[in-house]
Amino acid sequence: MMRMAGGTVVTKPLDAPAGTVPGHERRRSSRALQVGLPAFGVLAGIVLVAGPFLATLIRSLLYWSPDGASVAVSLQNFTALLSDPRFHEAALNTLICGVGATIFSTLLGLSLAWVVSRTDLPGRSWFEIGNMIPFFLSPYVGAEAWSYLASPNSGILQKASLDYFGVSLQFVNIFSLGGVIWVLSLFYTPYVYLLVISPLRRMDAALEDAARVHGASFWYTVRHITIPLLMPALLSGATVVFVTSAGLFDVPFALAATRGIRTVPTEIFSSVQYPADFGRAASFGMLVMLITVALTLWQRHYMAGRRYETVTGKGYRPRVLQLTRSGRIAALALETFYIGCGVVLPIVALVMVSLSSIWTGRFRPAMATMSNYKYVLFEYDLTRIAIVNSLVLAVAGATIGVGLSILQSYYLNRSRSKARGLIEAVLTMPLGIPGIILGLGFLILALRTPLYSTLAIILIAYVAHFFPLAIRTISAMFMAINPELEQSARASGATWGQTMRYVLLPLLKPALIAAWLMLFVIFVRELGSTILLYAQGTETISVALVALGERNFGYVAALAVIQLLVLLSAFALFKATRASIGQE
Amino acid sequence: MIMETPVNPTSSSFVTVRGLKKRFGDYTALNSISLEVAEGTTLALLGPSGCGKTTMLRCLAGLETAEEGYIEIAGKVVYDSSKNINLMPEERELGIVFQSYAVWPHMTVGENVGFPLKVRKVAKAEQQERVRRILDVVGLGAWYDRPATQLSGGQQQRVALARALVHEPRLVLFDEALSNLDAQLREQMRMELKVLQDRLGFTAVYVTHDQSEAFALADRIIVMNRGHIDTQGLPREVFDNPRTPFVAQFLGLNVQEGKIIRTAGAPPFALASQRRADQWAEVALPGGTAVWGRIGHDGPMAAGSKALVCIRKEHVQVEAPRAAAAGSAPAQQAFPAQIRAASFLGLSEEYIIDLAGIELRSIQPSAGVHSGDGVKVRLPPEECIVLPAGAGTASPH
Repeated sequence: MMRMAGGTVVTKPLDAPAGTVPGHERRRSSRALQVGLPAFGVLAGIVLVAGPFLATLIRSLLYWSPDGASVAVSLQNFTALLSDPRFHEAALNTLICGVGATIFSTLLGLSLAWVVSRTDLPGRSWFEIGNMIPFFLSPYVGAEAWSYLASPNSGILQKASLDYFGVSLQFVNIFSLGGVIWVLSLFYTPYVYLLVISPLRRMDAALEDAARVHGASFWYTVRHITIPLLMPALLSGATVVFVTSAGLFDVPFALAATRGIRTVPTEIFSSVQYPADFGRAASFGMLVMLITVALTLWQRHYMAGRRYETVTGKGYRPRVLQLTRSGRIAALALETFYIGCGVVLPIVALVMVSLSSIWTGRFRPAMATMSNYKYVLFEYDLTRIAIVNSLVLAVAGATIGVGLSILQSYYLNRSRSKARGLIEAVLTMPLGIPGIILGLGFLILALRTPLYSTLAIILIAYVAHFFPLAIRTISAMFMAINPELEQSARASGATWGQTMRYVLLPLLKPALIAAWLMLFVIFVRELGSTILLYAQGTETISVALVALGERNFGYVAALAVIQLLVLLSAFALFKATRASIGQE
Repeated sequence: MIMETPVNPTSSSFVTVRGLKKRFGDYTALNSISLEVAEGTTLALLGPSGCGKTTMLRCLAGLETAEEGYIEIAGKVVYDSSKNINLMPEERELGIVFQSYAVWPHMTVGENVGFPLKVRKVAKAEQQERVRRILDVVGLGAWYDRPATQLSGGQQQRVALARALVHEPRLVLFDEALSNLDAQLREQMRMELKVLQDRLGFTAVYVTHDQSEAFALADRIIVMNRGHIDTQGLPREVFDNPRTPFVAQFLGLNVQEGKIIRTAGAPPFALASQRRADQWAEVALPGGTAVWGRIGHDGPMAAGSKALVCIRKEHVQVEAPRAAAAGSAPAQQAFPAQIRAASFLGLSEEYIIDLAGIELRSIQPSAGVHSGDGVKVRLPPEECIVLPAGAGTASPH
């Protein structure tokens, strides 16, 4: 004990209990929380992933004899499917759509990212926002909008080109594989764009400068240095686009299925329509899952040896290319083309149709009416319930998803378990699996249980499908937080819970907000799994759009505009929070 | 590499820069810089961050375009604002080594080093032979087929160096090339670089903020400050005779402001070591200490004007009072002072000294004194440099 001249005690001996030092009991509960909570999150995640997978697997192996009397474990479902010519047709069509969408969105995404990050194009910051918007819109609504824009007999573009230029665009038919590729490309371009723009921005300028000084021309440097350095980002973008676009139900359902063009997602959907053949659907689902997992594993394996560290040293900002006049026009044309086709035209088409009582392909401003909005918002029970359901699902799903992902990310980044790599692989698996297949898994699970036809099963499917997205966002932020920040809180006497509350969660906040908004957006527009899981009373906006599609264009467009407004406000919030992060 | 362009007969130097100006928005990075580098020599551009040295180097490389001025490299005009000449970086026939090495991670060591030859369409066999030869020179002969990402920092530095030399450029630029390495490796690379240059005879411009690096490598030094050339000269000259307060502060000397009492051709006492100086001045420092020193500046310095007294830390001599009492000959310019803090540096000890209210730092072998001790501080007049005050200063580096 140290005593001052006056005899007052100024420091306490370390072993004496002091008021603020946690007691034994408290320390024990702190430890239980620290281990228990993340473990709970991981277990919940594993159950959510494994449940539908096992259900689909088991169902695909069960074969009922044609009279329905006996059931056996066999590969009969698979052999029946693989020998079915309709399966071959669907698989080929889906392959064409996936490859087409991958090629176009990779080219578009790379060029847009390059224009925005590496040239002096005026208005870059606006284009940067515009390029992102399709990421937040619903592909189903986009497909609907493009069917108003480019259908052979009543398309706005066809009529307008005939009226103003006298050119017939009858040959342009959105209801085709080409149309599916077109809409998919528009919606998946931001995936590549987002993955490529950050390495383009952060790449050490010296890597390119060194090539120039040592004798390489500008284009030689682009070909031999810049593009190869971007290859990992480009490849992972392309894999993501292929896997997700090929499995997307929305677009082929809107544009191909109506014309009898078979694709894998729409075939799975029709397999479970009356008369349902769950064996066929499940074996279909198993095949797709196997391909998805194989592709994802291949990509992981390929990337493992190619994680280039392109950010080093003091690193100057990459040089910005000063565009010539013609270069500026070309860049501007590219941006106008993309934002025009991906954002402006679809929205204009939807608004026009939503304001018309009868849609004929031409908009008559004098006849504009709000009656469609009045109908879907106030008069029609289905749409009113659907809007409420969608908002409830999106808010609850996003909150639960982010909550789980915090615990899982904590486990993945802070525990010292050797199983981390494996668990991460398992937890991020659902990302690539198409919604319709995950929905099928949950449908098989929930059939004949009280969960069947409730909002809860839809909610569970949503969270199961998309929590890996939140893990990715939150984990990235975790990696940027030095564990010593938490360790100093613990050393200062905080329990694990207090450390989470006062140190970690505030630091993670930007990522939590971003992840929440992203999940919200995805859930508001989700169609693939909802279409299999909804029942009367649990319809969502997207389901209502499908249901209304058979009745009236105007109602569909009005409801689509309402959904669009919800999505665009989420996007605005996302931009606003990102901007405030940037200022910090 | 053989030059196609005839050598410009009007210029005797290898690199000539005249009146180079470059602004970034409101910030003037280069304010009419002119400099010359003789063939086969190394020029070091030394200065604190933001002084314009890196911008100067990037303008030489063609990675940055100046607004105004003239640059000639090996008789070839590469930039002339008045004639609208501005060669692309790849047309300037240079080699460059960056601080971040900029070794391409998607290529092997051989591909990295062979790149300048590949873009020059040198025959494959010759490429390989030259790459192997230069890799041997930098001591990476066995690494030809290895992926560049497997290399350590020092090895990446050698790859970058080999790449900058393989095409035998006329001028090699170094941008803080050694500052990412740890101290021991840096020393070693510094020596190797010097040996290489003697062997290959290239001309070099070397940008650094590290004075010891500049002194060790350069034949000539230019100290830059806020876009200006502050001082230039031989390394020894710049080191021994800091000619501006900025250089004195940048090199880490003690700098104290005072007022000139009088000037004279010689101080009124015999000097311990004889050293020719044209002018001497006695300066009154705050707290009443009067110090003689030699005037290190060409301009006139009159009695009554403000002046700075600069003295290297190693030249401030601290003596324990007992040693002083027992001491040998009574020394000139010794004052009673007090030790404020002492810190042990290994071979030497650094003292912070309170001399009648002014603070001085000294580095010397331990004098066996401690914080709070009264001591004698000697400021040898021949080591005190008197410079005019207010000629431009910067925060010490």
